[in-house]
Amino acid sequence: MSNPPIIISASPHIHSEESLKKIMYDVVIALVPAFLVSLYVFGINAFIVAAVAVVSCLLFEYLIQKYLLKTNITIWDGSALITGILLAFNLPSGLPIWMVIVGSLFAIGVVKMSFGGLGFNIFNPALAARVFLLISFPVQMTMWPTAVVNNTQLIDGVTGATTLGIIKEGLMYGDTMTDLSSKIPSTLDMLLGITGGSIGEISALALLIGGAYLLYKRVISWYIPIIMLATITIMTGVFWLINPEQYANPLIQLLSGGAILGAFYMATDLVTSPITKKGMIVFAIGIGVITVVIRLFGAYPEGVSFAILIMNAFVPLINTYFKPRRFGSEIKSKIL
Amino acid sequence: MVSKINQKENFIKGIVKENPTFVLLLGMCPTLGVTTSAFNGFGMGVATLFVLVMSNIVVSLVKNQIPSKVRIPAFIIIIATFVTVVEMVLEAFVPFLYEQLGIFIPLIVVNCIILGRAEAFASKNDVFSSIIDAFGMGLGFVIALTILGATRELLGNGSVFDFKLTSENANTFIIFILPPGAFIALAYLTVIFNKLTSKITG
Amino acid sequence: MGKKKDTFFNMVISLLVITVVSGFLLGYVNDLTMAPKAKARLQKKVNALKIVLPKFDNNPVENVKRVKSEKVKDSIEIYTAYANKNKVGIAVTGSSEKGFNGLVKLMIGFKPNGDIQDIQILDQKETPGLGTKMTKEKFLKQFRGKNPSTYKLKVKKDGGDIDALTGATISSRAFAESVQIAYDEFVKTIDSI
Repeated sequence: MSNPPIIISASPHIHSEESLKKIMYDVVIALVPAFLVSLYVFGINAFIVAAVAVVSCLLFEYLIQKYLLKTNITIWDGSALITGILLAFNLPSGLPIWMVIVGSLFAIGVVKMSFGGLGFNIFNPALAARVFLLISFPVQMTMWPTAVVNNTQLIDGVTGATTLGIIKEGLMYGDTMTDLSSKIPSTLDMLLGITGGSIGEISALALLIGGAYLLYKRVISWYIPIIMLATITIMTGVFWLINPEQYANPLIQLLSGGAILGAFYMATDLVTSPITKKGMIVFAIGIGVITVVIRLFGAYPEGVSFAILIMNAFVPLINTYFKPRRFGSEIKSKIL
Repeated sequence: MVSKINQKENFIKGIVKENPTFVLLLGMCPTLGVTTSAFNGFGMGVATLFVLVMSNIVVSLVKNQIPSKVRIPAFIIIIATFVTVVEMVLEAFVPFLYEQLGIFIPLIVVNCIILGRAEAFASKNDVFSSIIDAFGMGLGFVIALTILGATRELLGNGSVFDFKLTSENANTFIIFILPPGAFIALAYLTVIFNKLTSKITG
Repeated sequence: MGKKKDTFFNMVISLLVITVVSGFLLGYVNDLTMAPKAKARLQKKVNALKIVLPKFDNNPVENVKRVKSEKVKDSIEIYTAYANKNKVGIAVTGSSEKGFNGLVKLMIGFKPNGDIQDIQILDQKETPGLGTKMTKEKFLKQFRGKNPSTYKLKVKKDGGDIDALTGATISSRAFAESVQIAYDEFVKTIDSI
């Protein structure tokens, strides 16, 4: 089969291999601080989970392209690498290795390749795989090793709930926020990452440093992360002002769970987010609202991944309604 | 209308070339809703098969007595009657299956396969061809639902027809016995089915 | 045979005939299945009772006692089982609305001295893979043979004796509460029966 001279594809339009690679590796660099924090807190397990996720993502992409699709091998474009890292960032460090591998297979095989590979996937592969694992193995996916500073042991024995988990269960049991304030980590601990959670979500500060790097390098625009976080702040703030005993304050909501990780690294995924400024604003507000609704009223303590996936599904619709202005759009109707 | 239909082809088409689930993608509501286990899928398939055969017989018998403007309401009454019969019989004699299928039994009425066959086939053909057509389509549906149910039960619960294949505490993919798993399993089974049949039929 | 014309009269008649025939058919089948349906419903209860109670030879469903309680939405049902005219056990339904997704309803069989014989789950909508594990042997077996007068029906986190399900403390609490409600009712009625 010879390649046609002109390839027409859906967005993102890849102008040259080099710039795509550059973007991808900028993202990897931005993720380094958060990863270092998790190594410090969770020890070698965090490294093992991340390594397995990355290697199996690359391997599955290679195997599928080589033997099932029989197309060009594109595993070095960096996208599978990022999927692997982001998947690991969304998993608890004590997850059995085979589950990490299954998650990678789901991310690459089902969410990415089944829809046509990079540029065609509707959903963020890493997040979809996380949700797949969360629903399939709820016990293992919610066993968060407690943070031990400078963890060098191979096995972490103690597990505990995340900040959001503690709040959700406590409120359901009838405790008030005042009762719970002694059980949840301090704001400083949450900022630094001395708390339970997925590998990559614990340290708000490290994630913000990486996010600032991405903004500086113009890999992502500020619309999605800032508006999404602002929506969460405003919505939870309103509830908190109404009843501070039943709702956690906005600072806890922002620093806990996957809010910052999701805002800077997941929601901004070029393939699965809208292309125009207005579209991005709608998209980000939607994620923020759904996140808050799930966190405050849903069955799960955390809702960022569900929110992003739900809004991913709306991206084609958003892109249709917020098309970039075309030249001569005034006479568009006449031509049609 | 003298039967000039090749009855063997008429029968086979419902199972392979025009499989209601994997090719026509009809009747998705029970397909996705009740196939949490192989037995449930099989039970729903058989219940639908019964209604399909009976309604095809009756529709093809009375096709000339019904004015065409009221044919759809007439077909729906015929189908609904048999569905209600199935519901009462299941509740009386197979209460376990009745509980499992629940709301999806009355919903057989709106299964588009049944109305589709009544409208597209039985109302235009003789009784014998209609019976063959109903059995072909119905069996295609039974097979598809059983395969889908077995796949979901195996992945989600580690068993097939309640026969446990994994240990009691093994981690299975619970998502497959939940609604999202139905969509994922159906999509991949459809791919496999069409890949296989396109190889056979060319 | 040509097709019937679309006249108003033809339409009315054909629909009338179909509905009348269908009505008679349904009435007939309903009569046929009425008795087996009632029997099947009864059998379901008897089966649950057979599991949670020691061997009995009377029909506990016949003289079921229903008690209203403010803790439970529908009434608590109490079934008494006899063997050779001796009281061998009492089955009580207990339920809690505090499950992760609402109602958790159980049937608990007690021996006359208050020991738990066995527990059957009648209704629950807990999260698959977490709360639904309450139906598994591993969780249920810790209740068998225990007497709630000495065995604290609370999860260990709340100072009781029950090993909660991993990741499903709320479901376990609802389960424990249901058993406690049933036991309270058992204590109240054991002497009067």
